[in-house]
Amino acid sequence: MSGPALSRASAAGPAVVVSGLQRSYGERLVIDRLDLRIERGEFVALLGESGCGKTTLLRALAGLDPIQGGRIDAPRRPAVVFQEHRLLPWDTLWRNVALGLPGPEARARAAAALGEVGLGTRLDDWPRNLSGGQAQRVALARALVQEPELLLLDEPFAALDALTRIRMHLLVKRLVARHRPGVLLVTHDVDEAIALADRILVMRGGAIAAAHRAPAPGAPAATRAALLAELGVENDLQSA
Amino acid sequence: MSNAEQTAAFPLAPPARPRAPGRPAAAPLGRASLIALSWIAPVILLVTWEVLAQYGWLSPQVLPAPSKVARTAYKLAVHGSLLDDLGTSLARAAIGFLIGGTLAFALGILVGFSRLAEALIDRSVQMVRAIPFLALLPLVIVWFGVGEGQKIFLVALGVAFPIYINTTLGIRQVDPKLLELGRVQGLGTGQLIWRIILPGALPSILTGVRYALATAWLALVVAETIGAQAGIGFLAMDAREFLRTDVVVLTIVIYALIGVAADSIARLLERRLLAWHPNFGGAPR
Repeated sequence: MSGPALSRASAAGPAVVVSGLQRSYGERLVIDRLDLRIERGEFVALLGESGCGKTTLLRALAGLDPIQGGRIDAPRRPAVVFQEHRLLPWDTLWRNVALGLPGPEARARAAAALGEVGLGTRLDDWPRNLSGGQAQRVALARALVQEPELLLLDEPFAALDALTRIRMHLLVKRLVARHRPGVLLVTHDVDEAIALADRILVMRGGAIAAAHRAPAPGAPAATRAALLAELGVENDLQSA
Repeated sequence: MSNAEQTAAFPLAPPARPRAPGRPAAAPLGRASLIALSWIAPVILLVTWEVLAQYGWLSPQVLPAPSKVARTAYKLAVHGSLLDDLGTSLARAAIGFLIGGTLAFALGILVGFSRLAEALIDRSVQMVRAIPFLALLPLVIVWFGVGEGQKIFLVALGVAFPIYINTTLGIRQVDPKLLELGRVQGLGTGQLIWRIILPGALPSILTGVRYALATAWLALVVAETIGAQAGIGFLAMDAREFLRTDVVVLTIVIYALIGVAADSIARLLERRLLAWHPNFGGAPR
């Protein structure tokens, strides 16, 4: 399905190791010799300006696009939550969550996953009856029910209203703490990255340009200012 | 190539009936009274027709009274061959529909999925489609004579195009984002087709079925008026010989009723199979 040396075979270890990754559209190199390692249970946020290649990286990790060089080593197929919920409108919620699950206990597993996102009473409901936040919670359940070792989140909260987004943040944090996959969250929201991630990366020119540990609780201001500066946002308030 | 063209070729109510968003829901009158209102004009027309015929202002040679047509229907059904003829016609339509529909669906699936099949098949089909299929009638008579083969072939031909076109169209229109999701969830090709592509194409395929039902009927009327020994069309032609306008009108009414029935069946299918779809299911939100 993919280009050179995409292996998902190794048994234990990190959730994903990327080395020397190259991805181009025609002549234009979008990802240029990118290295990245995400441990299991580690929450990594990836920030970057529009067009810096962060979604391209996520799609390469998901195996959706071929790569032109380097390697991606992941033990298992990663699970993905997209910006849109991408629920199948013709399937009930539990069948949506069970999509791709083998075996007779698929419904029970889907039911448990829906319970975890607070929709355990609506197994046989239809996607069109859901609000945006609820639909995204189903998408999250569909990803987690796969028991992924790497969970890829492609701006999954971008289309939600502010309050729903905060609720989703808390939910994702709790679920990631319980299931402990490695997480790569692509976002353009600095505050979201600070709120969720153990490690925050900034992507520029097709490679990782900067990395930050999560700030100590209650003291994110310096990290925030540094991140904004790295993203090219002049911040007069911080400079005072 | 598009649904719009099909609409132009076969005058029929548009298959998808989204609730018009700008229209207030039956404002001052209830739904029931609106339905009752819609029946006023047809009933007045029927009564006028009956009265005109009864008082002799309308020659029975030109247009017999509705009551006379009803009596003829009863007589033919009980003593004559009406039910046999109806059965013969329905069987022709069903067999032609099955043959043409199955072939067209299979071909549509093939072309929808494979670029290679598309390159090999699609242009030829589109070229043949440009011929109004009824124009082939003289040729079909040369090939098959005027027996059952000619009738079934004509029905199958008429059915094939709407089903083929809407099947390929439906498959093409499946949301690529959902296909991507299927890959991310690790679906194999079979699962991808069964869980995502066919359900996604189903609204379009059922639209094709609806148009095909209308075409099947049209083809049958034409085919049966030529050299049939049984069937509704035969009944009409036979009655024409003896100037039995009541029988002729009866056959026209029967064609209309069966057309309505076929459309209802198609709509029932849509409601059952597309219960999830906001435009078809009608399930209250």
